[in-house]
Amino acid sequence: MKHAFLISCSLALTVLMVSCKKDNTVAPVQPVTKTKDITVNFSSATPFTLFSFKDTSVVANSDSSSAKWDFALRLTTFLVNSYSGGPGNAGVVVMDGVYDNTTAAPSIGYAYDTTASQRAIKDGSWYDYNITTHSFVPKAGKVFIFRTADGVHYAKMELLSATYAPFTGPVPQQIIYTMRFTYQPDGTRSF
Amino acid sequence: MAAQSLRPMKKILTIIIQLLFIICSALPAISQQGKDSSATKELDEVVITATRSERKLGNVAIPVRVIQQKTIQQTGSLRLQDILQEETGVVIVNSNLGSSLNGYPNPFGQGVQMLGLDPAYTLILLDGEPLIGRNAGILQLGRLATGNIRQVEIVKGPSSSLYGSEAMAGVINIITASPQKEKIEWQAHAGSHHTAAGTVSYANRFNRTGVQFFVNRYSSSGYDLDPSVYGKTVDPSRDWNSQLKITHDFSNQWQWLLSLRDYDSKQSNNYQIYWQNNPAIVRGYTTEKDQTAFSQLRWQWNTDHKIYFRTFYDHYRNHSYVNLDKTNTPFDETSFDQSILKPEIQFESGKPGKGLYTAGAGTYFEMINASRYAGKRTLTTLYTFTQEEWKMLHQKLTIIAGGRIDKRSDFAARISPRLGLAYQPDNKWKFTASSGWGFKAPDFRHLYLNFFNSQVGYSLLGSQELGSELLLMQQQGLLQNGADITPYLHPPALRPETSFGSHAGVKYNGNRWTIEAGLFRNDIRNLIDVFTLPFSRSNGQAIFSYHNVGRVYTQGVETDIKYKVSKTIFLSGGYQFLDAKDKEIIQQIKQSSLYERDPVSFQTRLVRRSDYFGLFNRSRHTANIKLLYDDEKSGWNAYLRLLGRGPFGYADVNGDNIADDPREMVKGFMMMNAAVAKSVNDHFQLQAGVENIFNYTDAQHLPEIPGRLFFVNMNYTFEKSFQYHKTNKK
Repeated sequence: MKHAFLISCSLALTVLMVSCKKDNTVAPVQPVTKTKDITVNFSSATPFTLFSFKDTSVVANSDSSSAKWDFALRLTTFLVNSYSGGPGNAGVVVMDGVYDNTTAAPSIGYAYDTTASQRAIKDGSWYDYNITTHSFVPKAGKVFIFRTADGVHYAKMELLSATYAPFTGPVPQQIIYTMRFTYQPDGTRSF
Repeated sequence: MAAQSLRPMKKILTIIIQLLFIICSALPAISQQGKDSSATKELDEVVITATRSERKLGNVAIPVRVIQQKTIQQTGSLRLQDILQEETGVVIVNSNLGSSLNGYPNPFGQGVQMLGLDPAYTLILLDGEPLIGRNAGILQLGRLATGNIRQVEIVKGPSSSLYGSEAMAGVINIITASPQKEKIEWQAHAGSHHTAAGTVSYANRFNRTGVQFFVNRYSSSGYDLDPSVYGKTVDPSRDWNSQLKITHDFSNQWQWLLSLRDYDSKQSNNYQIYWQNNPAIVRGYTTEKDQTAFSQLRWQWNTDHKIYFRTFYDHYRNHSYVNLDKTNTPFDETSFDQSILKPEIQFESGKPGKGLYTAGAGTYFEMINASRYAGKRTLTTLYTFTQEEWKMLHQKLTIIAGGRIDKRSDFAARISPRLGLAYQPDNKWKFTASSGWGFKAPDFRHLYLNFFNSQVGYSLLGSQELGSELLLMQQQGLLQNGADITPYLHPPALRPETSFGSHAGVKYNGNRWTIEAGLFRNDIRNLIDVFTLPFSRSNGQAIFSYHNVGRVYTQGVETDIKYKVSKTIFLSGGYQFLDAKDKEIIQQIKQSSLYERDPVSFQTRLVRRSDYFGLFNRSRHTANIKLLYDDEKSGWNAYLRLLGRGPFGYADVNGDNIADDPREMVKGFMMMNAAVAKSVNDHFQLQAGVENIFNYTDAQHLPEIPGRLFFVNMNYTFEKSFQYHKTNKK
């Protein structure tokens, strides 16, 4: 209860701050920062959840062979829309740092889903899972810098939490990731 | 409850610290006082563990703590863990095998944490021989009955120089009674949760032969801390424990000891699982059997030279199954079968009070056959040890130097030296210092585990299994498409974990006061830890294996104070401060590469050095206070004991995988026990007591703490007096 209250407070605060910023600035295109929950499947027999930074939303799975999405996630497996991942030109750099202080995307060093086994984002590199307590927490300070599937826009993303969706069986069917992301629509690499 | 209990805890700590100051300032005055008989009595206690030979406690250069039979009886507890936690610096920790994904704890057992190290690093010996059958590194302490224990010896600090692997944090040696004279003992125990126990023991000496027999049955209905979850927290169980000891003196030179021990336990399993995505109940049993045989032939060809020929055999089995309740079809079954054979020879030379030389050699044949391991596995260790003790400066200075070499079939020879010093300017003061190397060999699970969690779907593979199993999984299409397994086909062999530990202490044995204080530090390298492979199974689930990675240190202060208030009233207290940290984490913090994210505000920032609390499951502060009333004239004795454990880290919530946030901590708690006993006559004693008076429980983090327990004990002892022997000697 208490947590829910705190979360809603902090959300309200964030919204307030974001709206304040909007009022104060005059720049024509501002990067959009959003905090969003995405629900992804647990089982490998189920489809990935696709996400587009430009649309700031999940993309229908029927579009999986298009460049409409930037990254996809299932359990802890990330796909990036490039090569074996998809037809797009997306790439990713995982940086260590504080999200707000990461103000520029690097010009080089983007990794791609070169082959099915050479994924841009290595499984196990961005979370801690305890096999005895099953506690599952995305590592703090991991900032994912994406070049989007169109190859000309940049976004940064941070996973804030991972919780199992309520379940009754032996294992969860879905995981809810809370993520924060910033999309720069003007094509520059600064956030 | 938990929140309340933290405040008195702090209060008690301040009281203890204040007491310490008062005592320190009073010390010079006390030391002026006259000679005391209790002090010399304590120095005369005989201990074995520190040097592997019977030595008077006062002469030993390595710090040893002894829990006497009388203390065990005064607590009235039948659980070894209750008795061990009487000792400062011995923390009983819960060792959950894990919890289900639904968050239900899966209590497995309680282990001993010494010097801030996990239960797997304390060697537990029964009459000097190692007990096997550790599950995930934990030896179930409940396997040992307390009824026939003569004394428990605790040696903290690396003792690998005598005992080899596992003795990194120290050694706990449980010494059972030996047949000295005719003695018959019955004990009946009844307590909460339908706990019932009965013990019969018999000892006698017939000329040159001694016989000691002990049998104990213990049963309990278990308990349930969370009625909202199906099944009990701890299920009903019953244990049988028996031991037969025969000694025979062939001559004054040749003495033989045979000890046979049998442990048999049966515990119900009854819990809820999911069967085809519907809740279902499963029931079954876990049976545990542990049988040991020990033979020792002692040849003392003159007063100064002895040789021991020993053979120890231990066979431990654990079988567990559950069937689906509705259809009675098998649902899960695991088995674990381990045995060791350990022939050993030990030589001793030296006069009592003068130096002593000890040397020995032996072999350790180990076999394991378990359902979670692929096939039968064997390991052989050859070892040899030597130790020399010198007495100098009119016996005021003792120097002890020793070392041991262990060569196990799967890794290079390991040398573990140790050096100890003791200086006793008079019979009141004793200063000790010791340093030594310790090691812990990778155990069977690190090497050979081949475990697939069928409910969740992940795999955990021992390092020796990794290559072949990955190849097999790839052939069977069980790996993620295109996984590159080549770097893992021949993983580097796991090396033993090693430690270097030091201890420095001072002990004052006065008229009324006994004060002991010590500092310790341990540095551990090559810690074996679980890692995640960079590819997954075809079901998307992770594959885990083991590698040598960690470097940690533990250091702290330990103090113990005993005060004789009067002839019948004794007050004692102890406190341990512990600082146990991961060096890699400290480095990451220094390099500003470790971040934490507040789980509510989602603000990320660098972890500061001051945020880092230390390794999980370690309390910075532990303390105990005991008040004892013991009047032999009236036959009454009573004790009141307070035990406090400060907060400790449990699980990460803020994304840095370390304990650094109050939300990751289990709050500190206190437990109080009390017991009163009355000897009706020379033979008959009645006792009643309460454990955990405050009824502290924490179903989620500490499911092994059962809440408040009441008990009654009845003791009948028939002992033949040997008065005439004493007069004969004079």
